[in-house]
Amino acid sequence: MTCLKEDLIRELKKEILEGDAEKARGIANKLLKRDFDPLEAINRAVTPAAKEVGEKFGKGEIFLTDLMFSAEAMQAANQVFLEKLSEQKRETKKIGKVVLATVAGDIHDIGKNIVKLLLDVNGFEVIDLGADVPSSAIIDRALESNADVIALSALMTTTRPSQKEVIDILREMNVRDKFIVMVGGGSVNEEWAEEIGADGWAETAEEAVKLAFKLIREKRGE
Amino acid sequence: MVPPWRINEVLDRAKNGPFCREKDFDMKILWPKLREAVKEYDIKFDPENIVPSDDSLADDVWMAGYNLYLETGTLCKSTNRRILFDEEEVKEALALHPRKIRCGFGKDSSEMFHREIEDKRRPFCFLSPDITCDEEIFIPMTMAYLQEPIADGVCAPILEEIEGRDIKVSDPFEVKGSIAHAMMFREAARRVGRPGLFLKSVGTAISDAAQIAASNQEWGERLTDSRFVASIAELKTDFSLLNKMVHFHEYGCYIGALFGPMKGGYCGGPEGTAIVGVAHFLQGLMVNQAHWSNYFPIDIRNNSNTSRELLWVVSVTYQAVAKNSPFISTSNGFASAGPCTPMVLYEAAVHGLVSVVSGGNLWEIGVACNKYKNRTTPMEARMACEVGLGAAKEQVKREDANLLAKEIVSKYEKEIDNPPLGKTFQECYDIRKVKPSEEYIELYRKIKKELEDLGVPFLY
Repeated sequence: MTCLKEDLIRELKKEILEGDAEKARGIANKLLKRDFDPLEAINRAVTPAAKEVGEKFGKGEIFLTDLMFSAEAMQAANQVFLEKLSEQKRETKKIGKVVLATVAGDIHDIGKNIVKLLLDVNGFEVIDLGADVPSSAIIDRALESNADVIALSALMTTTRPSQKEVIDILREMNVRDKFIVMVGGGSVNEEWAEEIGADGWAETAEEAVKLAFKLIREKRGE
Repeated sequence: MVPPWRINEVLDRAKNGPFCREKDFDMKILWPKLREAVKEYDIKFDPENIVPSDDSLADDVWMAGYNLYLETGTLCKSTNRRILFDEEEVKEALALHPRKIRCGFGKDSSEMFHREIEDKRRPFCFLSPDITCDEEIFIPMTMAYLQEPIADGVCAPILEEIEGRDIKVSDPFEVKGSIAHAMMFREAARRVGRPGLFLKSVGTAISDAAQIAASNQEWGERLTDSRFVASIAELKTDFSLLNKMVHFHEYGCYIGALFGPMKGGYCGGPEGTAIVGVAHFLQGLMVNQAHWSNYFPIDIRNNSNTSRELLWVVSVTYQAVAKNSPFISTSNGFASAGPCTPMVLYEAAVHGLVSVVSGGNLWEIGVACNKYKNRTTPMEARMACEVGLGAAKEQVKREDANLLAKEIVSKYEKEIDNPPLGKTFQECYDIRKVKPSEEYIELYRKIKKELEDLGVPFLY
């Protein structure tokens, strides 16, 4: 029996890596039928698979579409495990809540979508507001949801001033310290992040995830 | 006959075409069909063949992209509707599309035309900074590009501020900044004695309103100039872009289609990127009804297109288009390194070489991963265009271009993800006299000599 469970854990990882949501959901159900602990399944199959997918994307070994299929497979398996945990009245703790958007005037969302996927699979709760989002809408949502992080993407040099606008308004409203503000996107560099007073800048989606972990830990004094 | 032909058809379809959620377009339509096309046509990237000599590969990439576009069409993000065309319409548009256009006016005008593979005719050289600059140096930087003798057309840098105020998309300062951009661009062209040169503007204007505000024969964008209508990656448009398309056509200036499929994004690898590249050319024809196009496949990881993979994409897409269509197109380089470094000059040289031999005209060159304000100079563009002119004059064959390209790429490819940032325009130029520094001139001469010794032909 143990051997079968171990096989299922391996299979679940494989299906997540291959991005097959239906198979991943099926294996997750099989594991629960065999009384496998849902939290252990998340820790031993879903989380390591997520890490591997993120690393492969970072190295250019897989592409955005692979990442999206893998994320769907992870979500399918996670949904099964989370429902069980909820039945058992056990809580799972998210690492932090991130309000994510491509800023006003910018319609490009591929980079932002990659960040969303990688944050999702790494255990963050992500509120994705989409592209071309007005600064006030981003701030309202961050306040309403009591977010830990506001993450702002801008592809174009002509739209990145909207990142600055969000930070300026936060200051004006005296709520700047409530949030960690991260910036990124094709046009964004370290100089710009410093100039506008962001808490951090990441060049790639994988670095954005690492940065979010680091900044949240620092803020919580961990 | 020049486009447009059927503006209302495009607009009707953007409003009434089949409904499709964006995620379904990406994941259920584009990606499966693209994956199938790569397999069906057996298209494979070969790192030893940056400039492939196989004509059948060019034809396969063309057919794969052509069939892909017929199946996917373009998604209008404003309505979530697909703009679809049948083959008869695409064939009609291809058959009627001009193979050349006259750009600019008077003594400064020139012809931009469809180029063939290994074409010996001089490529059209468009010089562009592709990045933002301080308001104070807009005119000297623009003059520096305009005064390059090799330039047939120029694009100005982008303003982030106007009269000390931040420019933000869709706010009134964007309109002000865009008008100022157009006026200063005209002034700079006159000051270098090339008032009729072909100008591409207005990079400062992202919104439709700001673009429309700069259309003015007297002080702004003229009918002999060109404007861009971009495509959203991948194979998408929206109402703001369609508003520009309608306005530019009715104003009467040239339209350039601007598109940059992303390797590592929805295109997948280099094979998919080349196929989607061809599909974007067709979108530029059918949706934007453009007269010419500017093509920049790009790596989502480092914002450049001078790696082996991306140069291969540039080469096979241009070969596909050169052999199978009448398209007039410039190949837009994006280098990783910054100005006044040997690496950026190698990157510029190889991009110019590969593009011209494969059938492209030139649009050179965004540098420093296109991320750093003021970090660009015309010297990088000069190198790319000089190599392009030499390659055309000597009619360099693809096999020879491939050997040269591999040699040049090997000089910098290890540094492509961690490139030197280089210097700013102000550090490289005397901005009062609009002259490059002795340091950069020396470096330029040194790298040019090194490339000549490798066998890269130069015109002078």
